[in-house]
Amino acid sequence: MKRLIKEFTKGITIENPTFGLVLGLCPTLAVSTTVINALGMGIAATFVLIGSNIIISAARHFIPGRIRLPVFIVIIATFVTICELLMKAYFPALNKALGIFVPLIVVNCIILARAEAFASRNPLLPSFFDALGMGFGFTAALTIIALVREILGAGSVAGIKLIGHWEPITVMVLAPGALLTLGLLMAFTNLLKIKRSKGKHSGIERKAGGCSVWR
Amino acid sequence: MREIIRYGLILGLVCFLAGGLLAVVNGITAPKIQLQKEKEEDFALRQVIYGAVMFKEKLENGRLNYYVAYDSANRLKGFVVKSQGRGYSSDIEVLTGLDLNLEITDIKILYQNETPGLGNRISEPGFCGQFRGKNLGSLHQIQAITGASISSEAVINSIKDRVSALKPNLLKDIQYAR
Repeated sequence: MKRLIKEFTKGITIENPTFGLVLGLCPTLAVSTTVINALGMGIAATFVLIGSNIIISAARHFIPGRIRLPVFIVIIATFVTICELLMKAYFPALNKALGIFVPLIVVNCIILARAEAFASRNPLLPSFFDALGMGFGFTAALTIIALVREILGAGSVAGIKLIGHWEPITVMVLAPGALLTLGLLMAFTNLLKIKRSKGKHSGIERKAGGCSVWR
Repeated sequence: MREIIRYGLILGLVCFLAGGLLAVVNGITAPKIQLQKEKEEDFALRQVIYGAVMFKEKLENGRLNYYVAYDSANRLKGFVVKSQGRGYSSDIEVLTGLDLNLEITDIKILYQNETPGLGNRISEPGFCGQFRGKNLGSLHQIQAITGASISSEAVINSIKDRVSALKPNLLKDIQYAR
């Protein structure tokens, strides 16, 4: 049980897909313009992640090593298509807002990375918790970035106006705003990591040309 | 050789299962998706021409040319024209409502994927609202959005081109209704 909890929480904290592993940045930058879009994208990716992790973990003994990647991609693409069809049928507005980024979940590195690095080597239950944690971490990271961008760029949260008279900082809803927000938040989480593990091994190497490297 | 055949069979089996699963999900969702699409289009049609309750498609060579709108007493109310224009980063699809004097009642952007914060403001009432009451002769008075002249021009020109092209057909319909 303790191990399962660890598999779940690592995706939110130290191995957070966005701030820790730095995976799946393309959709992160693109859909984090509003909180609603971020939540929708996060939930869709979590659904695909859980589905693919479960199936791949269950079938891991039957998939020959040499053709594992095409098999993973077919499984992931199937779940993405199911997700897209369901979204089109039941949440058409959200589907419109997310646009091309729903089908692009297929090539989201987080999902293939979890299939390859975790689900193909671990039993079903830990794989499920790994997917749940990673999906939750991804959703949380997206939502935090979107919160900052939407408040500064549009003066609203989830489409609800916060401040009556507000001249929006347009750059925050454009791509540079996404990179600025992501960079600052990543620096902040790294700072927390260093502070928390003072004296001990922090997991952050401070020698790589002045850049911090996660290992 | 035997390995290749084994791999091929396993991949084929995986694809077969995936295809079967997708067929089932598609069977469940396809009617719902179709319904959503019709609802959306119907809603948009009602929005651009106030008071119309029935829309009849006019086809040309089997493709949709324009919609004829009728009010609740089944009288001709106007027309709805769909047009496309190349914007800055996407093809913009516009729905335009026209009354019997061929003046614009309202427009609605059906699809666009322009720059957020700049070009995508063509969907906002500040821009769309300007089209009300305009006709082919006065469309040039519309103010383009600052920093998004390409998107703005695309909307204006696509409406102008489409309505000009359809004008003889629309006038004939009005004549006929009288």
